[in-house]
Amino acid sequence: MLDILMSVLVAGLTTGALYALATVGLSLVWGSMGMLNMAHAAMLTLGGYAAFTATTTLGLPVFAGFAAAILFGAMAGGLLYVLIVRNLLKNDKATFESNVMIATVGIGIALENTILLTYGGQPLKQPLSVDGILKLGPLNLPYQNIVIILVVVVMMAVIALLLGKTRMGRAIRATAQNRDAAQLMGVAVNRVYFQVLVLSGSLAGICGVMVSSMTQLSPPLGNDPMLKAFIMCVVAGLGNLPGAVAAAFGLALLEAFIQYVAGARWGFPSLLFVVIAVLIWRPSGLFGRTQIRRM
Amino acid sequence: MSDTAKPAVLSLHNVVSGYNELTVLKGVSFDVAAGELVTVVGPNGHGKSTLLKTISGLVPLKGGSISIDGQPTLTKPHAVAALGVAHVPQGDMLFPEMSVLENLLMGAYLAPGKAEIDRRLEEVYALLPKLADRRNQVASSLSGGERRMVGIGRGLMMAGRILLIDEPSLGLAPLIIEQIYGVISELSRSGRTILLVEENPARVADLADRLHLLDDGEIVWSGPPADLLARDELLATYLGG
Ligand SMILES: Nc1ncnc2c1ncn2[C@@H]1O[C@H](COP(=O)(O)OP(=O)(O)O)[C@@H](O)[C@H]1O
Ligand SMILES: [Mg+2]
Repeated sequence: MLDILMSVLVAGLTTGALYALATVGLSLVWGSMGMLNMAHAAMLTLGGYAAFTATTTLGLPVFAGFAAAILFGAMAGGLLYVLIVRNLLKNDKATFESNVMIATVGIGIALENTILLTYGGQPLKQPLSVDGILKLGPLNLPYQNIVIILVVVVMMAVIALLLGKTRMGRAIRATAQNRDAAQLMGVAVNRVYFQVLVLSGSLAGICGVMVSSMTQLSPPLGNDPMLKAFIMCVVAGLGNLPGAVAAAFGLALLEAFIQYVAGARWGFPSLLFVVIAVLIWRPSGLFGRTQIRRM
Repeated sequence: MSDTAKPAVLSLHNVVSGYNELTVLKGVSFDVAAGELVTVVGPNGHGKSTLLKTISGLVPLKGGSISIDGQPTLTKPHAVAALGVAHVPQGDMLFPEMSVLENLLMGAYLAPGKAEIDRRLEEVYALLPKLADRRNQVASSLSGGERRMVGIGRGLMMAGRILLIDEPSLGLAPLIIEQIYGVISELSRSGRTILLVEENPARVADLADRLHLLDDGEIVWSGPPADLLARDELLATYLGG
């Protein structure tokens, strides 16, 4: 019994780690610029394929695979800012939120289809995956799960340090909390937006590698994690990073246990049930600020 | 416009600005010289905050010109901050989820290095010792008076050429207002250049070098505060007695 419980726990923690990684990227962009990036899913997928190309096609080492995923994710985020977001921000600020959502839906579809045309639709094996199981007494820990949890913990620590302790991170948080005041202090908010999208893109890139190492590479790879990430964001309160991480782990564990107890098909509906309940009883999320400053 | 021999730190010439179609300022001109404390008074909703926001670039200039030390200001607020305009906005506009210290550090965002930041912090803590006690408290949990002090401290951390302060007494208890004005008067005595917006001219009577009365986006009277307070008909017309 205990070993089953432990393996459910490990599975829950692993998906929690994946959700957390996807959620933080989404939540960061929402919280600091009021932008719901619907292309986040495609940026995840892009990272997964970039790692594939670097390691399988070009035969580069594992390290280069990770670097390629981060690089391509970051580039996608940067280009998204330069080509689209910057121009949408020039127009009426009141309509930015809806405009950017529609624009990024389009970009997401275009990017996913470009990947489909380039690599084909058949699933590919993510080369950055590890086989094998670590046996600890009665406990079976797949190395893949350990790697994912470790990578995510490291990434979270890096993001926390970056946002919490650096001048750039403080400027990002200031912009999220009061954009006008940040500008009065000398913060160039356009540069902050660029940095946030680059950061979020690199997180998406790594997340894509991790997700595909659990399953396989396919063009719609990012859609499920993005949907889950969106749920986590809503439950946590959009824009609240620590809350989003807590929600990711909490809901993933809940999902894993419900799947074990009631069957796999009950996992997702139970998440949706939680979202609806939260939206009814705490519309700004479990840890949400009551109001989010918009553009 | 300038009635002083000192060179103007801030100079406004026929400033026109507003929001979308709404024109709020309809041609405002005046100078603030180095070390002066100039006050703008006027009834609610007549453009005092808009004036400060136009100077700091939060509201775009539609006509006329603004210069700092003879240099025309730029259109982006972050660039205006770099020119040395430190704006302490109405209602504080703190970063609510940051600590007092982090709010102050944001004020020094453009400061050249750690040593300079520490020097400014020490100066602000000396002037506002309460902020030192509260340095690790999150801004949203402060009282109204403490928040106002953080707002002023954050503005001082910018070490600008001119300090714009918008209604520092707004919403505070009389005793706290007295403390805040004590701080402003100390700043002025130490030679800071200050442009202060206030609704009540009596409060700045023995503080301001000059006072401008702003009504419906235009300056309708300028002079020493004591002269305005002696003019009952002006007070009655513009400030409701
Ligand atoms: N963000 C804004 N958008 C549109 N109109 C505004 C905005 N801020 C202020 N106003 C309008 O501009 C006018 C001047 O406001 P303000 O400068 O805040 O006055 P004061 O500071 O003297 O009370 C008012 O009519 C106000 O309604
Ligand atoms: Mg005002």
